[in-house]
Amino acid sequence: MRSRQLLPIGFLAALLALACPGGTVQPTSGPAEVLAKGTQEAPIPLPNAKGSLKFVVLGDFGVADRRQYSLGAEMSRFHDTFPFDTVVLVGDNLYGAERPQDFKTKFEDPYKPLLDKNVKFMGALGNHDAREQRFYKLFNMDGKLYYSFKAPSESVRFFMLDSTYPVPDQIAWLEKELADSKEDWKIACFHHPIYSSGGRHGSDLKLRETLEPLFIKYNVSVAFTGHDHFYERIKPQHGIVYYVVGSGGQLAIGDIAKGSPLTAKGFDTDNVFLAVEIQGDKMYFNAISTPGTVIDSGIIERRKPEPS
Amino acid sequence: MNTQRVLIVLGLTGGLCCAATAPAVETAKVGEIQRPIITLTPEERAAADQFEAKLKDYIADHRKAEAALPHLSKDSTPQEIDKNQRALGTQLAAERAGAKQGDFFTPPMEGLVRRTLQAVLAGPDAKTIKASIMDENPGVPNLKINDRYPDNIPLSTMPPQVLEPLPKLDEEMEYRFLGKHLVLLDTHAHLVVDFTGNVLP
Repeated sequence: MRSRQLLPIGFLAALLALACPGGTVQPTSGPAEVLAKGTQEAPIPLPNAKGSLKFVVLGDFGVADRRQYSLGAEMSRFHDTFPFDTVVLVGDNLYGAERPQDFKTKFEDPYKPLLDKNVKFMGALGNHDAREQRFYKLFNMDGKLYYSFKAPSESVRFFMLDSTYPVPDQIAWLEKELADSKEDWKIACFHHPIYSSGGRHGSDLKLRETLEPLFIKYNVSVAFTGHDHFYERIKPQHGIVYYVVGSGGQLAIGDIAKGSPLTAKGFDTDNVFLAVEIQGDKMYFNAISTPGTVIDSGIIERRKPEPS
Repeated sequence: MNTQRVLIVLGLTGGLCCAATAPAVETAKVGEIQRPIITLTPEERAAADQFEAKLKDYIADHRKAEAALPHLSKDSTPQEIDKNQRALGTQLAAERAGAKQGDFFTPPMEGLVRRTLQAVLAGPDAKTIKASIMDENPGVPNLKINDRYPDNIPLSTMPPQVLEPLPKLDEEMEYRFLGKHLVLLDTHAHLVVDFTGNVLP
């Protein structure tokens, strides 16, 4: 098993990906195309290019246990070589008590090295989170339960949703935000997965009914979710790539349904964060476990509007 | 993988209710989602209306109390959030010192909640839904009205199948399970406003 690799030039990474033994070119199945995928033995490196958007996705982490702290330490080490600006949170930020000391032990301490380096954490609420977290300075939610923000580089907008309560006001807001967004990449982040092979929770079909038509209509390319305590990359659904990254704290070992037709890659035996780099129309991803092993990697091309 | 889901259309808030003289459950299919439809008895309809009227009054009091407190900024510290939450809880608990269990979940309303949950948990997803609810939900002994939601217990999972048929709440309020009790929680104050008996089958 090899550790992650970083290359300075993006196109070299793509070439390497296509040439490497584990890389496969898939036929287009919808507008968001998985250009290549790596293996644990031959992961596709992140380009680590100057000016690209670099961020990490993390979910279901706030338990203050050894696992969370170990993964936090690995995220910090990873930042030394891959200087991401942002951590996108997909909910369940604090389990159990939410007293001031809990914000410290479940968030501020495990990610202190990143916070000290001014890495920005962008919050979304999970089912275990109190709504007051939206006022917490370090979650950068601007006092809102749902919001969108433009990435600091590249043409990317994130839509941070409150999937516990997808009330009509929020859905109307989402449709308007998506319609008004001029960015090339539209990325949705929320807690409850609308595609998941988890035995414990699984796909939220009602939420899928609500969100998926909007994602399809407005060219969302990628969605990051959590809730199920493992890592899963879903095969593209209507051209959209979905991830479950509920692997930041407690694990549901063995919870991914074996042989699930949804799974492109599943991993439920160690904690994982997802490192992402967007450069132009391509999104590179490495899912990284606590020892720093890349357990999933690949390249995705964004969805583009159908020619009129 | 669960591919079916239950939706009970109670019409408590959505206007989908068909008044009926006897409880009834039927099943309608929308795509792959199975939706049993519950119709309300006149007594249940009245209980639901009463529940919503009480909620409206409570929210008015909540907003008045909250307006008197310092506003939380978007850059609040955990200490500020906690202080604000406890101050609001203390204020509301004092204002409703005479509150008792069943003020909101009256016996007919509790009966309706129980029947709703029974129907939700009679579907093909029952095992998963119940496991979700009971996940990190150890319950709490001696639950009391106007108590602070116990700090050492996670906010339980409320599956959408359960939330959808219940009366919709304003942003200040939430339903949560503590053990098999359904709690009406003031989420800004972390205050137990009311709770049912054991309604989870």
